[in-house]
Amino acid sequence: MRQKLKPFSLLLILSSILFSCTKNETTVVLPVTAITVSNLPADTVLGVNAITGMPFSAGKYTFYSLERNAIVPNTDSASTQWDLAFAGSKILTNGGTSGKGLGGAFIYTGLFNDVKTISNDSVFKTDNAPGSFAVTFGSGKGWYVYDQLTSLITPLAGRVLVIRTASGKYAKVEIINYYKGGVTLPTTASESDKLSKQRYYTFRYAYQPNGSKTF
Amino acid sequence: MELRLLLFLIFTPIFLFSQVKFVKDTIQLQGDSVVVTATRSERKLSNVTVPVTIISAKSIQQIGALRLTDILKEQPGLTMTSGFGAGVQLQGLNPDYTIILINGEPLVGRTAGVLDLNRIALGNIKKIEIVKGPSSSLYGSEAMAGVINIITDATTKTPLQTSIRYGTYNTIDAGVNNTLASKSIFYQGYYNYYATDGYSIRPSSASRVTTPITRLATNQQFKYNLTQNTNILIGMRFTNEQIKNELSVTNGGLTINSNGAEKNTDYNVSSSLNHRFSNSLKTSFRSYITRYNATQNLLTVSGAPYTDLLDHLFNRLENQTDWVVNKKLTAIVGGGAVMEGVKSSRYDSEKIRKTNTNQYAFSQWEWMPNSKLILIGGIRFDHNQTYASAWSPKASMLYKINKQNRIRLSIGQGFKAPDFRQLYLNFTNAAAGSYSVFGTAQAQKVIGQLNSLGQIGTLYNNFYQLKALQPEYATGTHLTWEFEPNAKNNFSFQLFRNDIRNLIEVQQVGAYITGAQIYSYLNIGRAFTTGFEIEAKHQISKEFSISTAYQYLQTGDKDQIAQIKNGTVYTRDANGLSRKLNVSEYVGLPNNSTHKAQLKFNYSNQNGLFGNIRALYRSKWAVNNTNGNEVFDDGDSFAKGYIALHLSIGKDYINGLGFQFGCDNMLNYIDALNLPNLPGRTFFATIKLQKSQKHKS
Repeated sequence: MRQKLKPFSLLLILSSILFSCTKNETTVVLPVTAITVSNLPADTVLGVNAITGMPFSAGKYTFYSLERNAIVPNTDSASTQWDLAFAGSKILTNGGTSGKGLGGAFIYTGLFNDVKTISNDSVFKTDNAPGSFAVTFGSGKGWYVYDQLTSLITPLAGRVLVIRTASGKYAKVEIINYYKGGVTLPTTASESDKLSKQRYYTFRYAYQPNGSKTF
Repeated sequence: MELRLLLFLIFTPIFLFSQVKFVKDTIQLQGDSVVVTATRSERKLSNVTVPVTIISAKSIQQIGALRLTDILKEQPGLTMTSGFGAGVQLQGLNPDYTIILINGEPLVGRTAGVLDLNRIALGNIKKIEIVKGPSSSLYGSEAMAGVINIITDATTKTPLQTSIRYGTYNTIDAGVNNTLASKSIFYQGYYNYYATDGYSIRPSSASRVTTPITRLATNQQFKYNLTQNTNILIGMRFTNEQIKNELSVTNGGLTINSNGAEKNTDYNVSSSLNHRFSNSLKTSFRSYITRYNATQNLLTVSGAPYTDLLDHLFNRLENQTDWVVNKKLTAIVGGGAVMEGVKSSRYDSEKIRKTNTNQYAFSQWEWMPNSKLILIGGIRFDHNQTYASAWSPKASMLYKINKQNRIRLSIGQGFKAPDFRQLYLNFTNAAAGSYSVFGTAQAQKVIGQLNSLGQIGTLYNNFYQLKALQPEYATGTHLTWEFEPNAKNNFSFQLFRNDIRNLIEVQQVGAYITGAQIYSYLNIGRAFTTGFEIEAKHQISKEFSISTAYQYLQTGDKDQIAQIKNGTVYTRDANGLSRKLNVSEYVGLPNNSTHKAQLKFNYSNQNGLFGNIRALYRSKWAVNNTNGNEVFDDGDSFAKGYIALHLSIGKDYINGLGFQFGCDNMLNYIDALNLPNLPGRTFFATIKLQKSQKHKS
């Protein structure tokens, strides 16, 4: 009887430690506030090739640190300074084939405020160029839809990019708009406006600096 | 007189008598008309149990309608669609769900489910009958929303009619209709020539919304009376369209211009042997052959040719026997077989014709227990080679409450068979992202092969659910109240509801390694359309009349409504932040307007002078799912509501000469993106000449 009690009491002690542990942690967590980033240029269109008629750009990503809420210079592209990189409608995370960090992501269907904790069974994808990316490329597959008729890109409502940052912490991102000034152009806008005013991201995000999966 | 009686009893509607002469030009209340489409036999409109609209030759002529689209767009409950030609939407249901008949025989040659109604010239049309509600119990597949039956003129009173018309955009229409008749032989030939330069209402676009078109059409009818009780009818129809295309496609900032021609030919031959055994028994054997061929030959500026072919062949043999059992009971029994086939360059091989056969039998019983009540029950069975069999029952009734009031009620089930494209399409659009669409008959095999070649990136769950397509089904209920207080006033109110299940929808089933989408078809959708229609006519004086109509329409995808209620559909608030969509923001199916209304003034006097002014209103409709949440809601793009105002005046002289002048779209309303078939303000003038037999002799 004694021998049987022993592991049981051990379990009790252990679980009480665990319980108090998590309890302590939740009291420590401060509610993270959402930050809005506006007009972040993402490899904007510089002009239209006179011969092919195709728009061209510098072909460079804009690197962004969610932790510091700042643009990271391109010279630090090979570092763990950045968490997300933007070029056109492509968004990279700092991990896998894209970077040295621990970055990854998955797309959650639902509302930003409803992402309160990332459940432990959530699977973070990592970038695996050229075929697969944590934030899926393509119209209707990731965060936006492209309308062939109007040539406009609209961020899908009810999509949250759940991000694992370069340093292995967690953030949630909602893309709000893709056009300069944060307003999608009217369908009747000129072709040149549609090209020159696109690739400006407005998004909001919440970053949890303490490493927990709770926002 | 005997001949006249005989003709009247013949099954085929072509030979119902009509007299083109100066009748006193008062609005003919529809109670006098004869309808054939509702029951596949001649019935007085006042004795028909289902909702029917009749458009007379006179009203076609007085508004100056040239093509079938011109007249249908002014009918309550009908809406014209654009894209793949001009199709017709009936009580909110897409063009695929309305069968178009000419003298009872179906027209074929649909592109993406749409039959271009501009193909049909109106010059020799006697009348058009529109039956609303599922009518598959008599007409089989496609008669899910209703039936439009075009009945060509077969008058013997006017041996020669000619007309020529000229209008904006160099639009010319010329027609000749001649008739030869003896006691036993009857012949009628109609020829029509139509040409237009087309127009461009997009200011910065090289391509024309309506391209330059030349159309030739002829219609020949021949009848031979073997005996008093037996006759043979042969009808031939041929149309040829030559369309000059200057296409300009912009994709990703790159514009490709291409030049070429499109040629569409369409012919049909129908013949019937009709015999009357007695006053209570007659039978009709009919054969029908039709073929539609559309060939597009385009040459891009780079010199690369592009050819697109569609060839649809349809053959049918049919018998129908009408039996008057007793004074109160009438029966129709019939059956037939269809063989059809399609060749298309969008299938795996344009050389091999995909075929399908269908056998069917139908029966309809009409019981008139007393002078106030008519009850009709009918059922049809369609057995098909490539999809599941379909039963189509229908029950309807007419109750004459009193001289002024009538109630009609009909409940029926309609179906639409999966069409060839849904079974056999094998199309990759190289011009737009290289996506592919595969028909279900081949999708699994073709995608499997691509997979073994290592070309497939992902296969969705949808791929594993692909199976033989089932027909789409609709159950429709129509309740109509008609009130006719006196000969000058006429009012009707109709409630309708259609519930559609098994809708065939294009679904993404996978993706190539490159990310390009792969689509196929699945029976997944459930939808409804419901609403009411009000029509009223009033004869102000001998010369003046006014008519008005209104339609209220609600539509919806039942699965989408369930998703919205579950809170899994999102939209954005004023600040651009996501939120859940409310059911109240859902607008239903695209291209449907909640409100449609029309008001028409009509004048015509005994001296042949006539004029009319018609205002047609349509409220806004959803065109594009801009916010990407896959349902149409307040946050999407809409076409604006508009009013089209048309005018026509003319004079017919007793010697057969006639003039007409008209102005369509007087307010010059233009919406290039959403209403490509509505040019700005246009004018036309017509001269016609008809010789009556009396003058000839």
